[in-house]
Amino acid sequence: MNKPFFLWKHLNKLRWLTLITVFAMLITIPYLHVYQTYLAAHAYDLLQPDEKQIYDTMEMLTTPFVDDPEEDLDFIKGNTWSGTFGGFQLSDPLSIVGQISASLKVYWPFILTGLLPFILTAVFGRFFCGWICPATLLYELNTNFAAILRRVGLHVGNKRYDRRLKYVVLGLGVLVSVVTGTVVFATIYPPALVGREIYYAVALGGFGSGAVFFMLTFLLDLLIARRGFCRYICPGGALYSLIGRFRLFRIKRVVESCNDCAKCTSICEFGLDPLKDSFGQECNNCTACIAICPVDAMTFYVSLQDIGPQGPGHAGPKYKRQQQELADGQSDNE
Amino acid sequence: MSSRRDTLKWLVYGAALLASAGMPMLISRFMSPDVKINRIKHLRPPGAIKDEQDFIAACIGCGLCGEVCPPRCIKFHIRDGANQVNTPYINPEEKACILCNKCMEVCPTEALTETKLFDIDMGIAQIDRSACYPWVDRGICGACVGICPLGDRAIVFKEWNQYKPIVQSGCVGCGLCVEVCPHPSLPIWIVERSKGSVARHTIT
Repeated sequence: MNKPFFLWKHLNKLRWLTLITVFAMLITIPYLHVYQTYLAAHAYDLLQPDEKQIYDTMEMLTTPFVDDPEEDLDFIKGNTWSGTFGGFQLSDPLSIVGQISASLKVYWPFILTGLLPFILTAVFGRFFCGWICPATLLYELNTNFAAILRRVGLHVGNKRYDRRLKYVVLGLGVLVSVVTGTVVFATIYPPALVGREIYYAVALGGFGSGAVFFMLTFLLDLLIARRGFCRYICPGGALYSLIGRFRLFRIKRVVESCNDCAKCTSICEFGLDPLKDSFGQECNNCTACIAICPVDAMTFYVSLQDIGPQGPGHAGPKYKRQQQELADGQSDNE
Repeated sequence: MSSRRDTLKWLVYGAALLASAGMPMLISRFMSPDVKINRIKHLRPPGAIKDEQDFIAACIGCGLCGEVCPPRCIKFHIRDGANQVNTPYINPEEKACILCNKCMEVCPTEALTETKLFDIDMGIAQIDRSACYPWVDRGICGACVGICPLGDRAIVFKEWNQYKPIVQSGCVGCGLCVEVCPHPSLPIWIVERSKGSVARHTIT
């Protein structure tokens, strides 16, 4: 039998771990910065009790790893929109598209910071959306919340729209950036919003207007369409889908062992239909369908294109009926 | 006839698509209202592009400059500012820049470019001589001269024992003097360099 590599089934757990780690880092980094400012002020005795608590906690957490916290904690800074990791700067490709269209200038040091994400996206497709994006963690928890609501009997939105809307958002955003001369994506792109608003809340004393916008997208997901923002509006998702159109790593259904249980279709966050082999550029390789498949019929493979529709799974009733009909037809002919 | 109807249908569909695609940007724009920004209280961080429009176009709003600032003086337009939303500013009346260069080093774009200490141009300090304590003979002070990180390039006493501060052309506008000024009406502030250093005599 064509069994998938056993580790693929556990990638979903790794993905949740990655998402939680990224989110925890986004919360920790602002606190580390606050701790650094207290250090720079050299006035522990003047701190308020709650500030002292932050100081003590952060001191306890970081002392084993750093000698001179005031300088060494600059090792990792920023968020997924743009960050620096040990002097190596990384930026979201969308920020580069937005900045070039806003300033109509090409600034190479900045563009090179997006090179690594670009290459990874070209190879793994829209993996950022499923594996790193801090908003994804909240959105997926929101999906689970919606499932609970549905079980209780409340109405939860499950509408479907045209998936090409997000490409229009991307194009329109570039146009608005050119006209107004501002990086308009920075105000509507959820990962950028989440990272920034956590920093504002921790270090600058309150959420900004971006948090309200993020809550609106949350409500959109809950009341109108499941993962609606990611699927239909997110300009970053659109850009990643375009870059990862000819990605190497794809998910496929092993038609020999599939039994048409349709669990993969119901688990897919992006409303794709693995049962009909329609992944396309929208699939973010989140591996949730591999993890849920009860007969190990989903696997990774390396190819530039999806395999086309394979028909019903060979272990399912529909295929057996087809075969039966075929056999009957043949016997009739004979 | 049907082709005409089809064209019309596609036009309506396209218009609806375009309108719904513009919604997020409209909403986010309305959430950050355009307010009058007082430039004395909103200095751009050191090394910022001088032209305001160019700065807004170059800044991607990542917040890195704020996250490395040791005195945490870099704030952001978090709930207002229209096009300037999420761009950094420094309010020297609350917390002033210490010219440590970290924000310029970390900025991924050219919004904050690395600049030598004496070439930084955030503005220039301006002193209201009708309010400053030594200038109106209400005692001795010298806080601004004492704190200045650039020494007598930037600010000096009028006479060596008179404690009347005079701003020199070497001032880079970091705003530390504004932060320490003990006068409640803050008779020292940072103005744009091109405006000159003529006192405006506004006592509030």
